[in-house]
Amino acid sequence: MVMIEPSRDLRDTCAIVGIGNSRLGRVPGVSSLDLLVEAMRNAIADAGLKVSDIDGIVCRGPDDSYCHHQRVGERLGINTRFSTTLDNGGASQILSVALATMAIKAGLATTVICGYGRDAWSRTHVNEEARVRNETRPESQRAQEFGPEYGYFGAVAAHAFGATRHMHLYGTTRDQFGHIAVAFREHALRNPDAQMKKPLTLEQYHEGKLIVAPFGLFDCSLRSDAAGAVIVTSRERAKDLRQPPVSIKGFASWNNTTGWFNNDNMVVTAAKQSGEAAYKMAGVGPDDVDTAQIYDCFTYMVLAQLEDYGFCKKGEGGPFVASGALRMGGRLPTNTSGGQLSESHAEGMLQVVEGARQMRHTYPAERQVKDAEIALVSGHGGNQVCHSTLILGRA
Amino acid sequence: MSKPVPRPAPESAPYWNAAKEHKLELPRCNACGAFWFPPSQSCPHCLAADFAFVPVSGRGKVFSFVTFHRVYHPAFEQEVPYVVALVELEEGPRLLTNIVGIELDKVACEMPVKVTFDDTGDGVSVPKFMPA
Repeated sequence: MVMIEPSRDLRDTCAIVGIGNSRLGRVPGVSSLDLLVEAMRNAIADAGLKVSDIDGIVCRGPDDSYCHHQRVGERLGINTRFSTTLDNGGASQILSVALATMAIKAGLATTVICGYGRDAWSRTHVNEEARVRNETRPESQRAQEFGPEYGYFGAVAAHAFGATRHMHLYGTTRDQFGHIAVAFREHALRNPDAQMKKPLTLEQYHEGKLIVAPFGLFDCSLRSDAAGAVIVTSRERAKDLRQPPVSIKGFASWNNTTGWFNNDNMVVTAAKQSGEAAYKMAGVGPDDVDTAQIYDCFTYMVLAQLEDYGFCKKGEGGPFVASGALRMGGRLPTNTSGGQLSESHAEGMLQVVEGARQMRHTYPAERQVKDAEIALVSGHGGNQVCHSTLILGRA
Repeated sequence: MSKPVPRPAPESAPYWNAAKEHKLELPRCNACGAFWFPPSQSCPHCLAADFAFVPVSGRGKVFSFVTFHRVYHPAFEQEVPYVVALVELEEGPRLLTNIVGIELDKVACEMPVKVTFDDTGDGVSVPKFMPA
């Protein structure tokens, strides 16, 4: 494949000017669409905009949706210039911000709202069968062969394959995974919106029942009803708005579409190429990043991505996370709102929300990464191989 | 409750038909000679559409594996804990499978394995692997 040089023309040209989330956790009786609209209403109010100022919607819908942006526009009561629905799983949410930026830069829209909402807790608790299957995708989207006949189901197992392989190659341990879960829980306890309210010790991590080994209960992200939204506009327009703008410095994607089970894709993730390109667009490197918001569907995925983003060498993620690097005050405070392991799981949208909030410097001291100038956000999904990276900066 | 039976896509029917006769056959490209899996009607290495299902050795090694403790489907309630593995065949492709005939805690990455067939009683035979 030829080398490419991401355009630097987009660096610092657009900003996130509105940020919102819905109620998080267990929100029975509210559809994923209404959760998304709740987050969007909060983002619009936060920005001090009128809904009529919005002329673009880029979102993602549930796995069985059709033209979801159309339903969002209907609920917001607006016509729009540039709108679409993305389909890259957990990598979609960063791509929505990237596409918004490109649309604004191309002159196709001025102010684009991006977001994602899901009702995964409610959906997996409608009855006992749904709870046992713990599957958010509709039947038609699930494997019909080369899986179910072997008792192979779900995302936990898919990612656990990568964890086993990494442990085999580098001597990584469950204890090291535990440090990730414990650090994020610590962060969640400072976040009043977070789904998890109780402290978690390393000892309790080890006592958690095994789900699909090597993953136990606390290696797995939450089932949540949750939504997040952000509003993107030009840096020029951002000047007159209510909030301190958050600069969009760079973004990129990479897709290991050859498949999670092929090559080394389960150990060297698409964060590598996606990160390298985003760093180039932003004009920064891993040493410049002050806080990371990593797509933490499972503890191991945090460790692998931290390596792939260059915060430590491949294979050294275990010692890196065990050093306390991810905690507030550590080398790289990560998932500072609690992440999908402890805040709530909106497939990467709340990582975008938290990355942007950290760049505003409006948090109380206990939640603010001190002097943070650069935040890196990751998105991962679509049968484990789609990846996106967003680099935000303090404007 | 019985275990889920594979519902083959049209392109994988020959694979399951061979398995019924306890033969492991994978698509091989007549243009470049590469094997691939899962079955599809053109070669992902060179895009040629000229291929045939060809018997493979049935030998390989465990690339990675996981152990299911949680029951996701009622048919596996009596099976947990059980191992699901990704086996890399000598011919290259990797197959998702179960490892049988070994204690759970003895399964390891790189362990040599060979194919065995599990007749499910639904007229289907499922390729599994055991220590070689």
